[in-house]
Amino acid sequence: MGVDEQEIYIEGHPCVVVDCVRMRYSVASSESSAPDVNGTGPRFLRRAVRKPNMVTVHALNELSLVVERGESVGIIGRNGSGKSTLMKIISGQSKPTSGAVYASSTPIMLGVNAALVQDLSGDQNVILGCLAMGMSRAEAGERFDSIVELSGLEKSIHLPMKSYSSGMASRLRFAIAAAVDPEILLVDEALNTGDAQFADRSKLRMNELRAQAGCVFLVSHSLETISDMCTRVVWLDKGDLIMDGEPDVAIKAYQEFTRLLSKGNDDSALKILEEAKAVLVATEVRERSSRRVRG
Amino acid sequence: MSADIDVVSETAVQPLSVDMRRLTRVGSRPGFLDYLVRLWDFRQFIFYDARARVQSGTRRDRLGSAWLLLNPIFNGLTYYLIFGLLLQTSGGIENFVGYLVVGIFVFQFSSGAITAGARSIRNNKSVVQAFNFPRAALPIGANVRELLAAVPLILAMLLIVVVLPPSEKITWLWLLVVPAVLLQAIFNLGVGLILARMISRVHDVTHLIPFALRVWMYGSAIFYTYDRFVTQPQILSAIKLNPLFNVIDIIRDCVLYARVPQWQSWAILAAWALGALAVGLVYFWKGEESYGRG
Repeated sequence: MGVDEQEIYIEGHPCVVVDCVRMRYSVASSESSAPDVNGTGPRFLRRAVRKPNMVTVHALNELSLVVERGESVGIIGRNGSGKSTLMKIISGQSKPTSGAVYASSTPIMLGVNAALVQDLSGDQNVILGCLAMGMSRAEAGERFDSIVELSGLEKSIHLPMKSYSSGMASRLRFAIAAAVDPEILLVDEALNTGDAQFADRSKLRMNELRAQAGCVFLVSHSLETISDMCTRVVWLDKGDLIMDGEPDVAIKAYQEFTRLLSKGNDDSALKILEEAKAVLVATEVRERSSRRVRG
Repeated sequence: MSADIDVVSETAVQPLSVDMRRLTRVGSRPGFLDYLVRLWDFRQFIFYDARARVQSGTRRDRLGSAWLLLNPIFNGLTYYLIFGLLLQTSGGIENFVGYLVVGIFVFQFSSGAITAGARSIRNNKSVVQAFNFPRAALPIGANVRELLAAVPLILAMLLIVVVLPPSEKITWLWLLVVPAVLLQAIFNLGVGLILARMISRVHDVTHLIPFALRVWMYGSAIFYTYDRFVTQPQILSAIKLNPLFNVIDIIRDCVLYARVPQWQSWAILAAWALGALAVGLVYFWKGEESYGRG
């Protein structure tokens, strides 16, 4: 294995520890399975209760990361590489198949996926969202104006959510989620939401949040955003960790990889993957205080 | 901690020594008492959610909130036509209209609240996934909402009893309606919590709820009197242990017949209410990590 047995000692308390996390889904495939000839009972009955063809998807293979205070981690990779899965696991929205994520405080996911209550009006959703994030009614009232301003909805804030366009709804979601100042901030493509005017405002708010946050995770297809904002880049491909390190190095390799792929030069692209994997040093988390029981 | 990394066998592994004492597992379930404290911290969320949804619930209907009343009234009319006039199950019941109205209005509160509580996790999956809060806030919010919506319902029921002949007189016994309805609400919440976890695991249960509620309604002596089972002691005692029959019976005694309800009815009702709440909270809390995932 060529393992460097020298333990690295991490001073202080890290913000996020991702420990041997793995994610698998079992989903129904429309590909027909072999018919069971030996089944008993009438055919229509067997068909009615037959389980669909189940396929296991490896969304994320075993992965460990230790993120310290002050780090901004960019996560890059092609579609389906497990970026969003990893973010969902860190934020606690999905439970990993095995392994666990430990954090110094509740991670807050800023994204366009934070859906709200369709039947309620925008202003009711703002208050409800604030209360759901653990604010008191008074705090929610204090932040109300700045949330509405950030969302740019103006008078439409009093209309029910179901009358909103998808752009308006996602702007409101972003504004609500951005109302707290989280220690651990996760951002999933939030900057690509809305028109240019909103993009400027949200970027400003994002910078404020990042300055205050202990650590930031950012998923974006814009490599420019990643290299602007991040101090560390994690490259995932098909659920595997490919690179974990300096933004410049990782982004350059990833750009080369996608350039070769788009030219149809799959073999050379694969070679880049192999080379990156060969020099990859995976992390193994060792708990210092052995008295503490895990879980 | 396990060190087997099966990505690629030749990947080098760098052990990192980490102090994890101040870290907590993301999405982990707190202890039961901590959970109750957290729920208390989210009380403003629960009440705001309940109030906002009462107002918006019937907004898309032209008659708006009037449907909160019209619904049980039409229900009552239907049962009056079928059981009162066609099947004549009213035999021997004093003030049959009042008897029927109390039964239907009170049962409707429970059936609505139990259904709403049971579906609260499934229907709010997006809210569950977006925010981290104790999930029991949603079934509790749904039940607070149903309780708020039941206030005009109960008032309308009392009004009907006063207005329709034979007009009943208002006595101090009418005050006992309040504790009876509160105990009923606690019972609804307990059942709703249990069903909410079951539905979040196996969605098929939703399809069974309407049937179960219908059987329950027919077993609650709403349009007949339980006296007809006097010769069948098993059925009689089953009805007398039915918590909803007890609520209805208590309210009928107070409102229609001006007699003090039996203490046994209160005892049975209170036992069901507190038992359901205790079982419901613990059962729901045990599944806390599973809601809204997958």
